[in-house]
Amino acid sequence: MMNIRRLLPLLLVWGGLLLMFQLWIAPVQAGRFVRPGNMLDLSQQVSVNAMLAFGMTLVILIGGIDLSVGAVTALAGVAAVAMIPRYGSGAAIVVGLAIGAGVGSINGALAAWTKMPPFIITLGTMMAARGAALQFNENQPLPVPLDAGLFVALGNERFFDWLPMQVALMLAVFAGLFVLLHRTRFGQHLFAIGGNREAARFTGIRVPRHDFLVYVLCGTLAGLAGIIQASQLFSAIPSGGINFELNAIAAVVVGGTSFTGGIGSMPGTLLGAIIIGTLDKGLNQAGVHYSWQSVIKGAVILAAVWFDVRRRFRKE
Amino acid sequence: MSTHGDTPPLLELRGVRKHFGGVKALDGVDFDLRAGEIHALLGENGAGKSTLIKVLGGIHRPDVGEIRMDGEPTELRDVAAADRAGIRLIHQETALAPNLSVAENIFLGREPTRLGFLNRRRMVTDAQRLRDDLGMPELGNVNALVGTLTVAQLQLVEIARALSSQARVLVLGEPTAALSESEATALHARLRRLREQGVGIIYISHRLEEIGRIADRVTVLRDGRSIGTQPAAGFDRTELVRWMVGRDIGHDYPRPPRKPGEVVLKLSDLHAPGVHGVRFELRSGEILGFAGLFGAGRTELAHALFGIEPATAGRIEVQGVPVTIGSPADALAAGIALVPEDRQREGLVTSQSVGFNLALPWAIEWNRGPFVNSRRRSQIIDRAVSGLGIRCANSEQPVLALSGGNQQKVVVGKWLERPPRVLILDEPTRGVDVGARAEMFALLHRLMDQGLAIILISSDLPEVLNLSHRLMLYRNGRILRELDAETATAEGVMAELTLP
Repeated sequence: MMNIRRLLPLLLVWGGLLLMFQLWIAPVQAGRFVRPGNMLDLSQQVSVNAMLAFGMTLVILIGGIDLSVGAVTALAGVAAVAMIPRYGSGAAIVVGLAIGAGVGSINGALAAWTKMPPFIITLGTMMAARGAALQFNENQPLPVPLDAGLFVALGNERFFDWLPMQVALMLAVFAGLFVLLHRTRFGQHLFAIGGNREAARFTGIRVPRHDFLVYVLCGTLAGLAGIIQASQLFSAIPSGGINFELNAIAAVVVGGTSFTGGIGSMPGTLLGAIIIGTLDKGLNQAGVHYSWQSVIKGAVILAAVWFDVRRRFRKE
Repeated sequence: MSTHGDTPPLLELRGVRKHFGGVKALDGVDFDLRAGEIHALLGENGAGKSTLIKVLGGIHRPDVGEIRMDGEPTELRDVAAADRAGIRLIHQETALAPNLSVAENIFLGREPTRLGFLNRRRMVTDAQRLRDDLGMPELGNVNALVGTLTVAQLQLVEIARALSSQARVLVLGEPTAALSESEATALHARLRRLREQGVGIIYISHRLEEIGRIADRVTVLRDGRSIGTQPAAGFDRTELVRWMVGRDIGHDYPRPPRKPGEVVLKLSDLHAPGVHGVRFELRSGEILGFAGLFGAGRTELAHALFGIEPATAGRIEVQGVPVTIGSPADALAAGIALVPEDRQREGLVTSQSVGFNLALPWAIEWNRGPFVNSRRRSQIIDRAVSGLGIRCANSEQPVLALSGGNQQKVVVGKWLERPPRVLILDEPTRGVDVGARAEMFALLHRLMDQGLAIILISSDLPEVLNLSHRLMLYRNGRILRELDAETATAEGVMAELTLP
């Protein structure tokens, strides 16, 4: 269920981080942390992870998991870029999304209609997708032809000269999924499935169908993320997307979605992605060594979940 | 009331049978329900009540038999079909989503929408109106999360849900099991109002005293079969009891001669979750039976003695020595072992082999650090297998491949490498064939000769009467009375247990 109250602590945490970095970085680097240019940068960096996290939210909400999104991001990216020279941007985008949807369908079909655990299913598809991606261009990055107008625009264009296209896309996806999850019957049924799968079944909800669609959605978003990522970097990297699934899960979890299912929200995930992105960027700019960044991020995630779980169980 | 001759009954079952594997859950049920009637369904544990509920709810499909509504054959193919037919179940294990609110649960699956989007405001107002129309102020705020409600409130949500759209048949499974006196009375009043409106209500219970108060007719189920139907007003208690219990007490296992020795176990005013001041003594070589109805709390007593839900007050003495049992390890150290009620969930590691399960409690004998003494382990396993006559191809066989009876032998047998002083058996013969039962008890008798004392919890009245030396009548976490099992009768015990 969505609870406005749960979002407040997240906003406070984000505010706290911004403040911390502002104070920390200003004396060390020229320019402030919290300034429009930097924040726009941040939003661009956050977009890809946020999109993956939105899809992941639905999957974790119903009690599943999708470890394949990182590999799918890479695979969709290289497959799409590989299409451009001969078939153009439009076809490339379609192919990228189709690959995401395709892998999602495999995940979804197995999760919905067999007893295989989603962890194992998506582990398998993750490895297969990664293998497939590495086939492209002998594992060398594929450059994006600069004249592929539409494709390049996705990751680099700015609306009204300031709003990055990928941020606009991310917000559009957010809006769409927000409505789906919080304003439709389908979304309501996802919460029910996550809260008590048997009960959902007993009320006549077609649980396998919901399972399937959620994984397809998650996969398709991974495809979209792959396209945007390739566009942003002007190249698709077959070995890219490493740990993307973990970052997505981190955003979902920090945002208040429960791993046991039934509790979660899109706004929460968005804030979670923003917090993680802010942490990444802030530590980077503060010159903290990469390995320490990981340690700190891990600690933040543990803390976020600790507080969330404690708050939830104190109520009972 | 209408003249029953011309209008067909609202719901009719003829010759319904349902089996799961080799178990005949329903073995010929004939039943009819009229509109505007409260029809009670009476039966012991294992009589087939919950399977019947599931068949009516479209969760299981009968293998044989006919279901008719208003005289027309009806196929309850799935939950949706049963729902469309107007059949609503009120479950015992609630089928509600704890993370959603009362309103959301009431309308789960049929949420009001506007232009395709959820109409939350309408959901809330409709839920409030339903709450008020049904007179359920106890439900409180319809936006409260179901996970925070009491058991009685959960039931109200289920009822509201069942009535949120036209219901013709309401099936309630043990509705008052977890309710207080006043909550039960309120529920009954509500059911009577529904009856006035022409709803047919199937009320499943084994509380005989309720039947007279609430039902119009009563049907008894036993061993998956419907035995008979009576009008509830002025019901013949003896006959009902006989219907519920009476079965050829043909499988007699000889009661071991009584040779009680020293007191091995003594409870003084024991309190624990679900146990409210229990006191008794148990001697070596003796079988103490506990008879009670569903929900009497006997398993809770077993759990207190075995350290699963440790005692909060009172004393436990084993062979005169006071012991604190805070965990199963403590219990085992004190010489108390448990054969649990649900053998697959609590008694066996179902993913492993027969040998694994038999050797597991004795790991200290064959496993020091990283070293495994396979010979010792095999000896332990072989002793158990031959001692109990466990029928399996070999000890590496997955334990789930064994028959129910042999599985139970594994559950019992794993304790017997070094026999405990007190063995608690919780429904030991459920799903166990006659042959295995006899073998199991033969072994236990041999052990009793060597001093083993047994606490036997069983809902199978003839069995617990036959096997026990002394019998405790148990209700609501307390011992009602102690009887001499040799002179007590099943009907007498049942009658006493079902007294209001």
